[in-house]
Amino acid sequence: MSVFVNKKTKVLCQGITGTQATFHIRRSIDYGTQVLAGVSPGKAGMVHLGVPVFNTVKEAKQETGVNASIMYVPSIAVKAAVREAVEAELDLAVSIADGVPIKDMMEIKSMLRGSKTKFIGPNTPGIITPNEARLGIFPENIHKKGKIGVVSRSSTLTYEAVIEINKANKGQSTVIGLGDDMVIGMDFIEVIDAFHKDKNTNAIVLIGQLGGSFEEKAAEYYQSLPNKKPIIAFVAGEAVPFDHKMGYAGELISNGYVSVSDKKRIMQKSGMIVVDNINDINEILVNM
Amino acid sequence: MNIHEYQAKKILSDYGILIPKGGVAYTPNEAKKIASASSSKGPWILKSQIQSGFRNNGYFLEKGAGKQGGIRKVKSRKDIVHQAKQMLGSTLVTEQTGPKGRLVGKIYVESYMQVKNIFYMALIIDSITANIKLLVAEIKDEDIVKMALSNSRKILKIDLSINQGPTEEQIYKIINFLKLDGKSLKSMETFVTGLHKIFVDYDATMIELSPVGIMKNGNLVVLDAKMSFDDNALYRHKSLQKLQDDNELEERELQAFKYGFKYSEFDGNIGCIVNGDGIALAAMDALGRKNVGTACFLNVKGGVDKDKIAAGIKIIMTNPKVEGILINVLGGFLRCNLIAEGIINATSEVGLNVPLVVRFEGTNKEEAQEILERSKLPIIIADNMENSVDMLLQAIEEGE
Repeated sequence: MSVFVNKKTKVLCQGITGTQATFHIRRSIDYGTQVLAGVSPGKAGMVHLGVPVFNTVKEAKQETGVNASIMYVPSIAVKAAVREAVEAELDLAVSIADGVPIKDMMEIKSMLRGSKTKFIGPNTPGIITPNEARLGIFPENIHKKGKIGVVSRSSTLTYEAVIEINKANKGQSTVIGLGDDMVIGMDFIEVIDAFHKDKNTNAIVLIGQLGGSFEEKAAEYYQSLPNKKPIIAFVAGEAVPFDHKMGYAGELISNGYVSVSDKKRIMQKSGMIVVDNINDINEILVNM
Repeated sequence: MNIHEYQAKKILSDYGILIPKGGVAYTPNEAKKIASASSSKGPWILKSQIQSGFRNNGYFLEKGAGKQGGIRKVKSRKDIVHQAKQMLGSTLVTEQTGPKGRLVGKIYVESYMQVKNIFYMALIIDSITANIKLLVAEIKDEDIVKMALSNSRKILKIDLSINQGPTEEQIYKIINFLKLDGKSLKSMETFVTGLHKIFVDYDATMIELSPVGIMKNGNLVVLDAKMSFDDNALYRHKSLQKLQDDNELEERELQAFKYGFKYSEFDGNIGCIVNGDGIALAAMDALGRKNVGTACFLNVKGGVDKDKIAAGIKIIMTNPKVEGILINVLGGFLRCNLIAEGIINATSEVGLNVPLVVRFEGTNKEEAQEILERSKLPIIIADNMENSVDMLLQAIEEGE
């Protein structure tokens, strides 16, 4: 069945009347996603793509019972859109926007603390549970229903991981893009935890990237789990030479520079199967 | 976005933080005027204004620029003109600029300040806690990097939220850590509160002060400063937009920037066009495994205008280092057919004289491949990342 979204999820689209939203919501509806409401300030009362439009998230939830939102709002409007979702106590909000200011994300994280709303993104293709629900911009036709969970920091490498799973004649339970911004909503730990609790996920493919310490934290968490589901991991950026950024602060904060090789080593030690080449994933899955 | 030392110092000064007297000079005469205007009798420090650390240990490429580094101490006003003449218009190479170095178009002329002691302070974003992290360290000479890598207990790390400046307790912690006496308390409070305010007001991603000087009277003065700001927040800072220095970007990077693409140059010979940072990194990794380097990569993620894409592709094609081009696009939001049309447009304008391998997946993949096949251009179509690299290297070899 999946994690976070499935065919029973009641979906709201914030920004539904925009061109991007129209293009993708149409596809999501055709895919089977239950899109029950849209929010577009000032456009309450209209019907767009067969879906009633409201002025605010609270109104939409009151009238239709929606519990998850996919946002197609410009990057500078994401903070306000998330605030609405949090105040309306939605279970989930997803933003695909590229260019959300870091400070806005820091404020969003502050809003999310203590709230029941989970936030995926920004700068991500979103979340998709094959044949059930698509919240975002995934090229849905490359996805196949199955039991491998996918979680990735890189948007487009996520599709590469999906293709690898297909090549092994397996399918995906749920695919989640976390985005590769400096400050992100949901992180690896939350997703690994959810996949472990999901009886329809047998194994996980995890795509990490140079920068930040999300992979190291994920490894620490995974190591502590008593009953581990296999995780096959790929981390992009090994060939990037050590880049002296202007100034030294970046190195100091992590006690020396943490390279991709360091990340891979830490992940391997925690029990993850770390591949050097993303195209090796399908073979490992076949032999599992 | 990064700004120059002189610009960072102006911002600090606007927020009540002490900086030595100084001014920016574009000509040797201006340098002389700045020194004459100040009542100080010297010495002065002449600092090359390029965005790089390690300027002191750098060297100039031109013989006429003399043997000294990018930061020079000058004792007399007469020497100022002589040194300024050597530095201005010369190319400074540092550990961070790479071997090509950077042209020094302006220098900062600053009064030399005698201080009792120095320390390091920086503010940076902690991506895990989503808070601001304040770093403080005692430094003797300037090898802060070595120090950091060897002993983390020598660095004080303090969490600051975006909503609140430093507390009294946190200020005390810093004073104790640096073994300063009560004289510096008020100055430290104004100092850190001011830095925090700048960080939040300007959407900064990094403020680094290396070093800060402690004067005899306990006051703190910033001797060097670096600041970086969030590009995604520039729209709300017109004053910062004005500070952007186009000379810090390569010509092609500038062009790509104007189209809204991310473009970077490296030392290899393969040009890459991808959509997404992750694919870019994975492509570099795939090439690295065959001991081949990237000459440049262009990230067209989200770019839907086919003219824009053609312009971006032309930028790669006009890079003389490029001996082969790898295009790897997994279209989600981005439609592959737009990339295909962009390729056709670009090649019709600048020709195609190096091997080109394309790999599409996702939205409109078949349509995109058809467009390329119909064009009859010598374009090789691959079906995964690893194969695309192999096919390109083979084509380059055959071409030779």
